[in-house]
Amino acid sequence: MKSNKNSISVLVIGAGIAGIESSLLLANSGAKVYLVEKASYFGGNVIKWEEVFPNMECATCMIAPKQQELLQNENIELLTLSQVEDVQGSVGDFTAKVKKKARYIDLEACIGCNECFEPCPVEVDNEFEERLSKRKAIYIPCAGALPNAPVIDTANCLRFKGEDCQLCQEACMFEAIDYTQQDEELELKVGALVVATGFKTFDLTQTPQYGYKKLNNVYSIIEVERICASNGPTEGQIIMQNGETPKSVAIIHCVGREEKGYCSSVCCMASIKQAHFLKNKIPGVKIAQLYSALCVPGRIYQRFYEEVKESGVDFIRATVSEVTQQGTGLAIKYKTEDGEENTLNVDMLILAPAIEPAIDSTKLAQILDIPQDEHGFFTEKEPDLDSVDTSREGVFIAGCAQSPKDVPDTVAEAEATVGRILSLSR
Amino acid sequence: MAKKIGVYVCECGNNIADNVDIDRIIKTISPMRDVQVIEKYRLLCSEDGKEFLKQSIKDHELTHLVVAACSPKQHEHTFMGVCMTAGLNPYLFQMANIREQCAWVTPDKEEATDKAIRQIAAAIARVAYNEALERKDIDVYPDILVIGGGISGIRATKVLASPDRRVYLVEKSSSLGGKVKGFDKLFTKMESGSVLIENELRSVEGGENVEVFTDSEVKQILGFFGNFEIKVVKKATNEERNFNVGAVVLATGFDLMDLKELPQYGYGKLEDVYTSLEFEEMNVPGGPTGGNILLKNGKPPGSVAIIHCVGREEKGYCSKVCCMYSLKFARMLKDKLPEVRVSQLYSDLCIPGKAYQKFYEETEGFGVEFIRADKTNVAQNDKGITVKYESETGSKGDLSVDMVILVPAMEAGTDTNKFAEMLGIPVDNEGFLAQEHQRLAPVASSVEGIFVAGCAQGPKNISESIVQSEAAAGKILSTLVPGRKLELEVKTSKISEPFCTGCKTCISVCPYSAISFDDFRKISVVNEALCHGCGVCAAACPSGAASVKNFAFTQIYQEVEALLK
Repeated sequence: MKSNKNSISVLVIGAGIAGIESSLLLANSGAKVYLVEKASYFGGNVIKWEEVFPNMECATCMIAPKQQELLQNENIELLTLSQVEDVQGSVGDFTAKVKKKARYIDLEACIGCNECFEPCPVEVDNEFEERLSKRKAIYIPCAGALPNAPVIDTANCLRFKGEDCQLCQEACMFEAIDYTQQDEELELKVGALVVATGFKTFDLTQTPQYGYKKLNNVYSIIEVERICASNGPTEGQIIMQNGETPKSVAIIHCVGREEKGYCSSVCCMASIKQAHFLKNKIPGVKIAQLYSALCVPGRIYQRFYEEVKESGVDFIRATVSEVTQQGTGLAIKYKTEDGEENTLNVDMLILAPAIEPAIDSTKLAQILDIPQDEHGFFTEKEPDLDSVDTSREGVFIAGCAQSPKDVPDTVAEAEATVGRILSLSR
Repeated sequence: MAKKIGVYVCECGNNIADNVDIDRIIKTISPMRDVQVIEKYRLLCSEDGKEFLKQSIKDHELTHLVVAACSPKQHEHTFMGVCMTAGLNPYLFQMANIREQCAWVTPDKEEATDKAIRQIAAAIARVAYNEALERKDIDVYPDILVIGGGISGIRATKVLASPDRRVYLVEKSSSLGGKVKGFDKLFTKMESGSVLIENELRSVEGGENVEVFTDSEVKQILGFFGNFEIKVVKKATNEERNFNVGAVVLATGFDLMDLKELPQYGYGKLEDVYTSLEFEEMNVPGGPTGGNILLKNGKPPGSVAIIHCVGREEKGYCSKVCCMYSLKFARMLKDKLPEVRVSQLYSDLCIPGKAYQKFYEETEGFGVEFIRADKTNVAQNDKGITVKYESETGSKGDLSVDMVILVPAMEAGTDTNKFAEMLGIPVDNEGFLAQEHQRLAPVASSVEGIFVAGCAQGPKNISESIVQSEAAAGKILSTLVPGRKLELEVKTSKISEPFCTGCKTCISVCPYSAISFDDFRKISVVNEALCHGCGVCAAACPSGAASVKNFAFTQIYQEVEALLK
């Protein structure tokens, strides 16, 4: 379906699962969509997960068909490495300035064969893999990332630091590497905007009692997602920093909840999912969940919790006071509700951090002139009523940018922005 | 007509060429039956590659095409496009994946080449039997039927109605507004539910593009996405209305669990034990107590226990919104009766999201007591009611109170099963309507064109219900565009009339209700507008009558045979 003149144009900010869903539906209606993503790849946080709860579906397999559909849709212009810098105007008639950073790769010519990585002499931490593995200065973040083309990280590339290196260009058979590409400033005319900038997680070094980054084998839940991932740094082998597979694991829920002052709504399920995953991958592993209140809302989740509990995972209602190194393992001191004090010894500790709005949300709120709440989440026009409208007419929000939520609620909000936009434009 | 199959092998730069011996492929494949031409090319997906392919199809007057290259996920779409520009039916084209499945999976070039040859031979054997399929489209009705006049149905109507789209809103009771209309206060802003409904209704009732049916029942929904035939009957007069719509939004809401199944809570036996909805009713200014919180004896209660999660264990799910409205009840009590003692008996507080914890903390600040209780029992004592409780760790206690409010599990509304049956939508273990995809399609049902919004799909709060209504509207507005046709699935199932024995197995397994029985001919018939081509019928059919187009037994057997030769 080609876009037609009478259709609205929409700028979607953030190409995670919410941005993808909004873009596809809008484009299918005949609207022209500009999908702006600051990273070099799209798919958001979900493509970092190995499996999603509660059906343990492979996350990348789940959204890859949508990504392919999006890449082939003529009405959608995916702008990676791009950020919105200014938005003027009003509903039906916005002008947005977007800065698109150079990739230094010709997306038309590149076929994604990866031949250019090997000769690159630079090795740095791979941020996508939570710094658990290395990448080159020309790289794709993980196998299967889309668009299937690398990017040059100019902060680390020798050539952009003034040295005479062109090894990647020499290795490319398709003349796809172009060091002369320039950043671009785009001016886009759109009728509405969707803000779907997603989330990041709470900085675990702010809760030093759990030993994150101080003790060995203490991980964030996202790091463990990557360790479990078949396309991740260990290719799905569950091994700790010391190279061993854990025989006992503790998962602490609600890390940062008190500091943030809200429940992040999906961490209980994410923690239970990891227990389910580890239990299946490591025969005989002992797993304990340390939680304060279990939040498994809705018609589907409790069954999953019960299933995991019955598989032999311990659920302990407790507050953790301290984690210390004990030999090669960890000692977790906790207190139950009845006041009983206890210590749990484990090989591996996983922390489930609170969910926060994505980096640069405040800057974006200023550019868009939309309010944020005290936590930094974008505020809906009528709290408890409308979730996707903002106080600025024509600017809509979806997904975790509005509040922490799971995949189906995120998709529903993305679809709701489309309902609102297409009912505006008549 | 003689078959002229063209085979084109892509080198993919060096990606395939380096790891597969393409010259050996050409030597082996070219003598095969019906192969008119086989050639290699550096990069077939490039602009000059596509032009070369198009020219070759024309020059050699090819009847079928095989491209041996990357995964069809990557470029099947591209090469089908080339076929169309060259005048070849795109379904007479087959891809062989010799990159991801051969060149990239082994360092052994000989083995990779052997496997590539087999895959290409299989594609040739199959493509020769492929059918030329045609894309079809149908005209659609842009109008919509919304069933259920609660907050979800009202919002769906409001977003969907427009000068080129009429919305029929059908409500079985005598007025619109659903349960929300009867809530004096809504969390978290403690505003009136009836005022909210009045505001929402302003743009719906009397709107030119909306037709409201109250006291009415939907008797029939027949047809498929884009063209449903609807029959609505006005209950009092039996007056019948028939009209066509393109899609349906089911917003049939929820009911509370029947507490007769749970005698330990004393409901229906003890005075002053109420359900949450009864307590809501007590607070409505125009209600039976004039909005006053009163015991049966006409006095206000001095102490109230609110028992959470009633029936949760029996139901097997968390009803999601009860913690929040229980907190709201505590505030309503404290607001009207500042001296009242309020105790919340709960197992886990479920207050997800950015805003609810603050509401909880504020409520705690009003002097509300929170007691962890996993089991509770309610009994009469000489002065009032005794609530005995026990926590998961075994600590026990009891409370003496004047009033008990039970917070029962939410169930799908009573009409859910009726519509599930009428439409062939499966109901899950919990009694709610199943979604097309539990993660990625929260408002689409398994029947195309039927959407489910609000609590009919699972317990949710008002804003989540509204999101779902707007989501259903989003899905509808993006596909049912007035004046535009709807494209149908091409690779649908077909049932061979001479082979069909009329056993109806296919009808029972079809997840899309796409097969019906022709009573006159005594055979099963596929409705192509409903069929998604999943192939379940073909697998289940005991007589081999059902098959999916271009996945027929001949094509599959030819392919497998060549692969294993």
